Amino acid sequence: MNRRSTLKTLLIISTGAALLPSCLPDEKKSSISLKNIKINGKDEELLSDLSETIIPKTNTPGAKDVSAHLFTLMMIDYCYAPADQDKFVKGLKEFEDFSKKKFDKSFLRCFASERAEILKSIESKKDIPENVAFFYNTTKRLVLQAFTKSKYYLTKVQVYELVPGKFYGCVPVKKAS
Amino acid sequence: MGDTKQARTFDAIVIGSGMSGGWAAKEFCEKGLETLVLERGRDVKHIKDYPTTNMMPWEFKHRGEIPYDIREANPVISRCYAFREDAMHFFVKDTEHPYIQDKPFDWIRGYQVGGKSIMWARQTQRWSDFDFEGPARDGFAVDWPIRYKDIAPWYSYVEKFAGISGNKDGLPNLPDGEFLPPLELTCVENYFKEIVAKNFKGRDVIYGRCAHLTEPKQIHIDQGRGQCQNRDLCQRGCPFGGYFNANATTIPWALKTGNMTLRPFSVVHSIIYDDAKGKAVGVQVIDANTKESIEYYAPVIFVNAGAYNTNLILLNSKSKRFPNGLGNDNGILGKYAAFHNYRAEISAKYDGFPDTTSKGGRRPTSAYMPRFRNLYKQETDFLRGYALTFSARRWPNNDTNGFGQNLKENLLAEPTLGPWYVGSQMMGETIPKETNFLSLDADKKDDWGVPLLKINIDYDDNDEKMIKDFFEQMTEMYTKAGFTDIKTSDSKQAPGLDIHHMGGVRMGKDPKTSMLNKWHQFHNCSNVFVTDGACMTSTSTQNPSLTFMAMTARAANYAVEQLKKGEI
Repeated sequence: MNRRSTLKTLLIISTGAALLPSCLPDEKKSSISLKNIKINGKDEELLSDLSETIIPKTNTPGAKDVSAHLFTLMMIDYCYAPADQDKFVKGLKEFEDFSKKKFDKSFLRCFASERAEILKSIESKKDIPENVAFFYNTTKRLVLQAFTKSKYYLTKVQVYELVPGKFYGCVPVKKAS
Repeated sequence: MGDTKQARTFDAIVIGSGMSGGWAAKEFCEKGLETLVLERGRDVKHIKDYPTTNMMPWEFKHRGEIPYDIREANPVISRCYAFREDAMHFFVKDTEHPYIQDKPFDWIRGYQVGGKSIMWARQTQRWSDFDFEGPARDGFAVDWPIRYKDIAPWYSYVEKFAGISGNKDGLPNLPDGEFLPPLELTCVENYFKEIVAKNFKGRDVIYGRCAHLTEPKQIHIDQGRGQCQNRDLCQRGCPFGGYFNANATTIPWALKTGNMTLRPFSVVHSIIYDDAKGKAVGVQVIDANTKESIEYYAPVIFVNAGAYNTNLILLNSKSKRFPNGLGNDNGILGKYAAFHNYRAEISAKYDGFPDTTSKGGRRPTSAYMPRFRNLYKQETDFLRGYALTFSARRWPNNDTNGFGQNLKENLLAEPTLGPWYVGSQMMGETIPKETNFLSLDADKKDDWGVPLLKINIDYDDNDEKMIKDFFEQMTEMYTKAGFTDIKTSDSKQAPGLDIHHMGGVRMGKDPKTSMLNKWHQFHNCSNVFVTDGACMTSTSTQNPSLTFMAMTARAANYAVEQLKKGEI
């Protein structure tokens, strides 16, 4: 590469960098490649924070630690019907509207207590837009699946035995665990 | 040896390497016959070609689910319970091998060495004379040319080698076999067994009989197989060889003799009939990859392509002598096809036995009730009857309500045991009819130039009545046992999803009304044998694979004797 083009490249990069802050939310892409649904970096962040609100990290791993939000996106993208994918993506946007209506800000900027309140009102099922309910219920189901089928959960919480051996048909409950 | 006719000539040809073809291969090779085994799919070597067998649940990208575009493109195979992320590579996708459904029929197939024996459900019950005498007594189909005494020693023969677990129950309608120890029943299964025995004369709840090595014998160790570990991941192929599939048993056993030539990617186009010699002389094969047509020759040919593919090959085997398909003088080839009616299920809850549960392995079977309807005499407004499964267990639960810290604590807590849930599936006999038939499409062909199979199979009034009776009888038995929340369900699934495809080349005494004699030979082409599901004159209720295996071993040994005597 000659010096002139290097300078040109640098110029473009710096110009781009100067413009970046204003258009960052839409420019940033999702960290995984998706073939059907259109999700940007901000959507992914929102999903990540939502999943963490559902199963938070404490002194043990939470939803983010098992990449539950990425699993959710991947499952929606590969395993859901186009109509449901559409509903999910619409629901995600409407979820943001819901948050803005309630607290005048994005879910991403909400405090933990505000986030909890948003989820509580969705779980109350009172006057919740259909797409929002679909988005939330689907996300929760997939986050639960990601968590309870994660390596962490199946090796540290409820241990999955690949080779369980003998089957005992009838034992007292207290001896079963 | 170059590609001479001599190099393509064998003592025996077996078409298909699955449940029954594997047995033909084993028997021929053990008796010293140079045997060519043709398999249309790829080779699947035991263990080496089970790519998912030791994968943990979290290692499956979609946690077992099939991606949407695959389901959409392949609606038939997607209805199969075992078509999941861990075993999908063993199933034929609709798009790869089309067929024509004149009526809805879910044709579940597995094209590879081992065929569907890799993914089968492994339940194995013998037939009795209550089954073999069915058509003659009840006036449908034709009389079977064999009875229980003909096949009993061969059941023993294959059971010892395959390894069948079960309990000697001494039932006339479900003869005992050569059993390895049974898998235990749960507390509520035992309880239901007692309730039924006490209140319903002639009905029995027994331990499921299945092809699992609960206690391997020397013959199983010699096959390189070990004890079943109750993984219940059988459809992936078992690294222990804990259940019977052709890949772990019959095929390597045949290979070990040095007498087997296994040719994967060999689509059989037709059987070659020599008008001058008055018999079949070989098989025309299309190489699945190169599409090259090759002829192989042998004095005896076993057709074990899987029931409806066997029909397809025979219908496509046209000669001057047999312009309508091999042996088809009477015009019934492809007709009287049948299956098992698996539409009906019943489930319930039981609040008893709160202090007991099951633990340990994931048991690969359930309890079983052999047919009790119309057993000794006709007693209902429908013919024949049904067998059924019975299973009872408790599921551990974690509360998944809410979100946040509370939810997480609940997920990490010791699960609580729910109540006992019980369930049964009906396995109904269907009546073979002329109107349930297979034929070839006149124009459409597959990529290998073989006509597409047209399937014309449906339920009838007898099936509907049987479902109704199943619901009534089960509700009565469940109620007597104190089960609550009884729910019946009719899946309305199309025939075929039972994966017990049978008939089309039925056995019988009379060449005018049947295709095969009591040794599974064509009445009019004695060196071709059919011993897979296609030969079935009637279906009874038992899971059929064990019977196909026993029939194959019996017929193969007969064929060897006849060859030695120069009779065929």
